[in-house]
Formats: sequence, C-alpha cells, structure tokens
Amino acid sequence: MPDLIKRFLPFISLILLCLIVAVVEPRFLSPGNLASVARQTTVITIMAMGMTMVMVSGGIDLSVGSLLALAGCCGALVMTNKGNSLGIILAGIAVCIAVGLAGGLINGIAVTRLKIPPFIVTLGALGIYRGIALVITDGNGIVNLPENFGKLAEGTLIGIPVPLLIVVVIALIVHFLLTSTQPGRYCYAIGSNVEAARYAGIRVSRYQILFYCILGGLTGLAGAIETARLVTGVPTSGEGYELNVIAAVVIGGGSLSGGQGTVVGTLIGSLIMGVLSNGANLLGISPFIQKIVIGTVIVLAVTFDEFQRRKFEIAE
Amino acid sequence: MPMPQTALEMRGISKSFAGNTVLTDVTLSAAAGQVLALLGENGAGKSTLMKILAGVHQPDAGEIVIDGQVVKLQSPVDSLHYGVAMIYQELSLAPHLTVAENIFLGREPVSSLGIINQRALNERAANLLTEYGFKLDPRARVSQLSTAKRQLVEITRAIVEAKKVVVMDEPTSSLTSHEVEDLFRLIRDLKARGLAVIYISHRLEELDEIADQVTILRDGRAVYSGQWGSISTDEVIRHMAGRELKEIFPPRNAKIGDVKLRVSNLSRPPKFDNISFQAHAGEVVGIAGLAGAGRTELVEAIYGTQPATDGEINVLGHSVHQAVPHHSVANGLSLLTEDRKRTGLCLNLSLATNLTLANVKALLKGGLLQAKSETTAATDYISKLHIRPPSPTKTVGRMSGGNQQKVLLGRWLFAQTKVFLLDEPTRGVDVAARAEIYREINELAEAGAAIVMVSSDLPELLGMADRILVMRRGHLVAELNAKQTSQEEVLKYAAVED
Repeated sequence: MPDLIKRFLPFISLILLCLIVAVVEPRFLSPGNLASVARQTTVITIMAMGMTMVMVSGGIDLSVGSLLALAGCCGALVMTNKGNSLGIILAGIAVCIAVGLAGGLINGIAVTRLKIPPFIVTLGALGIYRGIALVITDGNGIVNLPENFGKLAEGTLIGIPVPLLIVVVIALIVHFLLTSTQPGRYCYAIGSNVEAARYAGIRVSRYQILFYCILGGLTGLAGAIETARLVTGVPTSGEGYELNVIAAVVIGGGSLSGGQGTVVGTLIGSLIMGVLSNGANLLGISPFIQKIVIGTVIVLAVTFDEFQRRKFEIAE
Repeated sequence: MPMPQTALEMRGISKSFAGNTVLTDVTLSAAAGQVLALLGENGAGKSTLMKILAGVHQPDAGEIVIDGQVVKLQSPVDSLHYGVAMIYQELSLAPHLTVAENIFLGREPVSSLGIINQRALNERAANLLTEYGFKLDPRARVSQLSTAKRQLVEITRAIVEAKKVVVMDEPTSSLTSHEVEDLFRLIRDLKARGLAVIYISHRLEELDEIADQVTILRDGRAVYSGQWGSISTDEVIRHMAGRELKEIFPPRNAKIGDVKLRVSNLSRPPKFDNISFQAHAGEVVGIAGLAGAGRTELVEAIYGTQPATDGEINVLGHSVHQAVPHHSVANGLSLLTEDRKRTGLCLNLSLATNLTLANVKALLKGGLLQAKSETTAATDYISKLHIRPPSPTKTVGRMSGGNQQKVLLGRWLFAQTKVFLLDEPTRGVDVAARAEIYREINELAEAGAAIVMVSSDLPELLGMADRILVMRRGHLVAELNAKQTSQEEVLKYAAVED
C-alpha cells in the first residue's frame, strides 16, 4: 500500500497543483501558456533525465548548472561571427555536447578514481566549470550567433516546439536505457548496494563513469538549447539549475541514497516545478519566493522518502 | 528447590505490520535465574517479539508483566528502565569510539564539571572485561575490531545495563569456540545473580549446555513451551519446521574428477600467507578455522574482491595472479558472500533482479532485457530452491534470512559457474532452509562442480565436506579427511599453538 501511494504521489500532486492553479488563474490552461510551460521546463528536464541515471546509481552531480554554461559558451565561441550556415550550427551543437561529455567524464573519473564522495567532487567541479566559462569568455556574453540557431529553442516542427520534441526523444531513450538494458539494470543494482554489485562481478566504476558521461552529454545539449534561447553564450547562465534538476528527480520519487527513480517520475517532478514557477508568475508571485518554495519542496520530498525507508526497515 | 520466580511474562502478544500478521497471541514467560531458549525459523517472529520487549515496537494486543507489574514499553528507554537489556544480532556500536566508551555510552563517569573521566572509564571497563574473561583492550577503537570482538563489546554493554532480563539474539553466530565458552560461563554467572536470560539461537547443540526452558515460535505463534530436555532435538526441529526433517546432511553420490581450482602460494600478509590447495570436480572442500584465521580473506582473494599480493590462482585452466570479480565469474568461479546484507543483496530490488544479477547477459536478446526470460529464470530457481514467498517481484529485503540466502545461491546457480566458494553458507539460516542448501550443494557436486566451503559450524563441515583444510592465523595447518576426523581434532589444529 505505501508503495502504491509512493508511486502515484507525484502524479496526484501534479494533477492537484494544475487544478489549483487553473481555478485561481484560468489563463493557465490556454494553449499558449501550456506551450510556454513546456518550453521553460525543457532545459531542466533534459538534465534531469541524465541526473535520474546518476542518482539511481547512487551518485549526484552538483556541477550541471556550471557545465551547462561552459558547454553553451564553448558552442557559442565556435559559432560567433561565422554566418548562418547549417554546418556551423551543427558544429556548435556538437561542441556543446562534446564539452558536456568531457565534463561528465572528468566528474565520473574523479568520483571513481579519487574515491571522494560525488557530492564533494562535483561541488568542486561546480566552481571549476563556472570559472573556466568565465575565463574563456572574459565574463562577457558571446553574441552574433547564427540567426537560425535560435530555432533550436524557439522553433516548431509540425506545430510542436522543437525543445519539446527533443525532451520526448531523450525521455524515451533514457527510459528505455534504464528499464531494458544491461547498463540500466546495473544502474539500479549499483545504487541499491554498490558492494553487492561489485561482489556480483559488475564493473562498477566503468558503469558509474558511463552514467556521469550520459548526464554530461545531456547537460551539453541542454547548454546548446539554453544558448539558443538566449541567442547568446552567457557564462553566468544556469546558476542554481542543479537545485531544480535534483529537485525534479527527488520529487519524482528518485532517492538521494540511490537504487530508486524512474524517467516517468522525473518527468512529473520536472513538470511540477514548471507549473509551480509558471503559476507563481501568472499570480504575480516574486521569483525569489519561488526559490524558497522549491527548496521546501525538496526537503519535504526527501523527508517523505526517508520516512518510507524507515518504515520499510522496521517492518523488515 | 524453590519455584523460580517469574521475572518476565509476555501475555497474548499480537502484532501486524501493514496488514501482515507477524505475531498472534504469543505468550512467553521467563523465570529469574533461568535461561529461556527462544527458538523458531527465520521469519517465525522471534525478532519482532524481542523488539516489542525492547520497546522498539508496540504490540497491537497483549500485555507485558515485569516482576508482577504490568508495564508499558513505549521506547527502548522504558525497557532499560525496567531492567531489560538487549544484545542485537545486528551490531549497534559506535565504530569510532573505543571499547570502554561504547560499554559506558550514555553512562560515562563524569566529574562535577561534567567532564568525562577517561581514566576511570577505562579502568572500569578493564575490570568488567577481566571479570567476564573477555580478552579486549578497553582503549581499542571498535572500528578496528573483528566482528567477534565487537560482539563481546556488545554483550558487555548489555550486561552492565541489565537488571532483570537479558535478551541475546544469536550471540554466538560470529564467536570462536573459546569465546563461546567464555560467554556460557558469563551466562551461568548471570543466572546465579538472578537474571532471566532469553537466548535466541539456531544452534541446537549449544542449548544443551545452558537452556532451562524453551519456547518455540512458528509462523508467529508459540507452538511449544516447556522444560528444555523434556523433548528430543528431533521434536524441537519438528515444532520449528512443522514437519519431520529426515536428514540434515543428505548423502552425496559424486564422482571426484579433475582439478577445477588450483591455488598456489597465495598470500596477502598478515591475513593469510602461502596458501596452496586444489579442489576437484565433485568435491566439497571444507575450510575450518577460528574467526580471524583468514578464511574469508582467502576466499575473497581467490574471487578477487580483496586481491592477493602474491601467488597464483588457476580456475578451469585460466591462470591469474590477481583475481578480479568479473573475470572470475566469466571463468566460472563464484563467491557466496558471508555477509548477505552488506555484500550480497540489493535489498530494495526484487527477487528476480537479485537472482539474475550475475548473469544479466542471459536475459538479453538483441541487447535488450527480456522480462519474460527474467521471470522464467526466477520461477525456475524459486521452485528448485523452494524460495518463499514464490514471487519473482518480491522485494528481497522483505524476505527471511534463509530465503535471502537461497536467492544468493540461486544467483550463482543461474550464472552457471563451475567452482563455488561458499563463505558461511548457512549463517543465520533456519534448519529447514539449511537442509535445502545442503541438498543443493550435493546436487552441484554430483553435477561435477567443485565446492569450497568456509564454515564455523563444525558439524556442518564434518557432515558436508570430503576434505577439511584447517587454517590458523593465516596459515594452512592441516588437511584432514572429513570421514576420519572429529570436531576435537579440527579444533585442536585450529586453536592450539605449536
């Protein structure tokens, strides 16, 4: 029974939240507004997909906000003042993803080789990646990007916003990875009990690095979309995103101690945060207060998770 | 002899968790100055009953009477207040504190300024340890002690607190036979001081030495209470299992074949040094020794979870100097770990996931996991090993110890390895599950597998092994024919210095 409540709680919360916001502010349900909720949440959602893998495997990555900025700036540096050709745009996006992958790889190697808690490794990386982004841009935004690059964030394909399509494709891939492949199976096993996974003959480090790389690559892609949205490479972009990304996973039922989490849950978690922030905007609530709300929601979600776990341990 | 006074009575205790009934109308009575053996298979409800006595859980129905007074135990503090002390099977010490600090945790001798008097603390601890005959340094940090030594600290701490009732939950599971003797002397001492001792154990042999009364639980009900010795061991087992257990150690009809595992000069000083032996197809090689003799370290080095520093391991013709777990599995060697919760199971994942974990490849088709193959594999081993409950989706952490152990054994059966290192394969496993594990080991041997079995349970080694290797302080000191040796001879090699 508690399992069932736990499984559906995020979903029920999302529906309730939508109902409340829609009743208080009917404009919420207009197609234009719903599309903007989707657009606003894509960057966070894409990173949250990767974070789901990392957190299910028992890790965490605090550096995603900084890495997003670094990847976006590197991509922007490649594209700036180079005209508007598709080749340049693709090269820029590829650089974003490559930088993200490299950042994830470094995080993964540091976590597995230095045997330092991922919280600390990626807290350091948070500072380092942000610093590099500021150094290579000298603290200034990179402008004069290809005009068509903006379509990555604002364009539509067959009437659907492009970033939404990207989210759907990535969610499907990650869901599939987690539920139907060997790395996905190992992801849950490593997060549930890393020693047991090692004793079962799983090459734990190799898979942990893989999960950080996937998160890094997705963060790079998110960096490309964020840069496209701003049509500028901004070295200070993505600040505090790690909070929203981790919150999306945790609200969606992912566990900070690993072994639990699903793509569907994270999607719902991400939407809850998107609706919260959109609702607050519609109702004219200050974005500063939104941060307080998000922080509170994280603590509540983790408390609920811990409470469930304790009950489970006692029953055992 | 006057009638012993009843120190503790638990009357009509019932308890359920989330609709799962764990205890039904259990009544139990422990007399002052006597040892009550509390028996039952894993999952029979012993631990829950004792957690109710400890104040960790509250009963749904029933009452607890201590010294003729009905008491409400809402928390462990209440239960200590009424003089009830617990020694848990799961160790609950603060690893970074010293032995003395752990013994007096919460009751440290303090000066008028509230400063802990470290010297008095260590002295008092030393006196206690000497009195009980435990060889422990009060200044030693608990994190550096072996499991057995930690158990002694735990026992000492509980006894300091106990005024009426001491509960010991499998206190001997990690102790050496010497330490067990010390413990039994201590228990007799506690009896003489008028305490009631509730003693939970799976080792029926040792109860003959100390038990006065017995209460047997099965499926959450008390099915027998009476004088220890008034019923036979077979009857005790029948009450526990609810059926007759013909033979604990079934006969084996295996042909000894080629060498499957050859270990040459394997070393990792100071844990073990220069160990060489072979295991053949169809053979069960037992490894005996006291706790700390290096047996677990040796099998972990062969498997690769704690690599050796020197020597060579040959598994089915593949030679390595330093084993690595995933290579070992690929070469056909597996290790059933001694600590299933820490290094064996992913407790929050399902039975099927845990069972197939070492051979996920077998579930892949075109790179994709086939849910159907997984369910089929799980169902096969559930029926082969009589795993209960027989549900592939059951969360493994919610199964009993014996069934968890069968899941782990099933994992290596499913991985199709040919050499099995079994480290304490029946620790904390109930009698019926034991018999099934023994039967399975025999089947493996008969099918041509080589089995190396580490065990602290000597009757088990004598009953199951063909040869017994004895380790002492990291050295292989004897190789005995299991059919011609005795517990005494094995112990002599394991314990006695040259």
